[in-house]
Amino acid sequence: MRSVYLKILILAGILSLACTTKVSEWVLLNSVPNQYTLVFYHNSLLSENQKQQNSKISTDIKDANILFKNVQSKEVIKPYYALYYQERLFAKYDSPEELYAIANSPLREKIAEQLMSGKLCVMLYLKTDDKEKDTRGLEILKKTITSSPFGEIITIVELSRKDLSEKHFISMLLNVESDLSEIKEPMLFGIFGKFKALEPLLSKGITEENINLMIDFLTADCSCLIKDNLPGTDILYTSNWENPAIALVNSILDANPTLMHN
Amino acid sequence: MDQDTLSNDSVASRPLPKWLTDQRDGLNYIQPVKIEMKEDRSLGISFMVTGILILLVITVLTVYVLQKNKNNSI
Repeated sequence: MRSVYLKILILAGILSLACTTKVSEWVLLNSVPNQYTLVFYHNSLLSENQKQQNSKISTDIKDANILFKNVQSKEVIKPYYALYYQERLFAKYDSPEELYAIANSPLREKIAEQLMSGKLCVMLYLKTDDKEKDTRGLEILKKTITSSPFGEIITIVELSRKDLSEKHFISMLLNVESDLSEIKEPMLFGIFGKFKALEPLLSKGITEENINLMIDFLTADCSCLIKDNLPGTDILYTSNWENPAIALVNSILDANPTLMHN
Repeated sequence: MDQDTLSNDSVASRPLPKWLTDQRDGLNYIQPVKIEMKEDRSLGISFMVTGILILLVITVLTVYVLQKNKNNSI
């Protein structure tokens, strides 16, 4: 009978521990990134050249969160590629050359490295390249992160919309919400977990209060409500997410228990 | 969480992300059940029932006494 009580006690202990995992850590350890779908639309049988091209594309993206499909349809006038995320069309490409580095880029590598090293998140500041507009939000961001008790475990990254080496990444960020590409304002994306980008703060919404709420969201206990309905969009990326470093947020919270919150 | 995708007149009128408003309003965790005082009418009902009973008893007794006096006078 005693062993039954002991088992119940251990189980209750494990369950109570599970609920105190922070959102950023839980998503990195447990969530599976949503899949993109790349579709090659064509109207006739594939030529040898097209087969070779598609084979190369498949090889390039095989380790990323993406599926590749061929769709033959008589309605297609000119063959093209279309990138979907959960049935939302993100981009169209007329040639295979345009797909170069679709699942990888220097900045994405850097961000993934930060996430795997135990950082809470990466705050990506997407600039408009209008200095007047960009400076205000960037100053607020830097000031807020410097004064935050979690500042040391947050990485700030700046990205210009005109950066050609990151054009696929920028396109994905601007598709996090359907109207973002039409808004020519600086945007602040919180990136966490296995490259999940939160819906951004825009323009005058980039305030100290809102940035601190973003930090609060990521450092909160991961409730069932959040687990069942995770916000954000997974970014397409080739990575091995196994064995990340221990989340650094825990050591800060252990040293300052008053910072713990829901 | 699906973000709203409604087009807005301006960036200023665009709503804040849902994850942010939920965090601000404490909606990202299950709220404890709020205990609210319900309207208590039991005292009023008790008075009414007592009053009706008293009136009923008085009526019955009056009828009974009047009936008895009527019989005695005959």
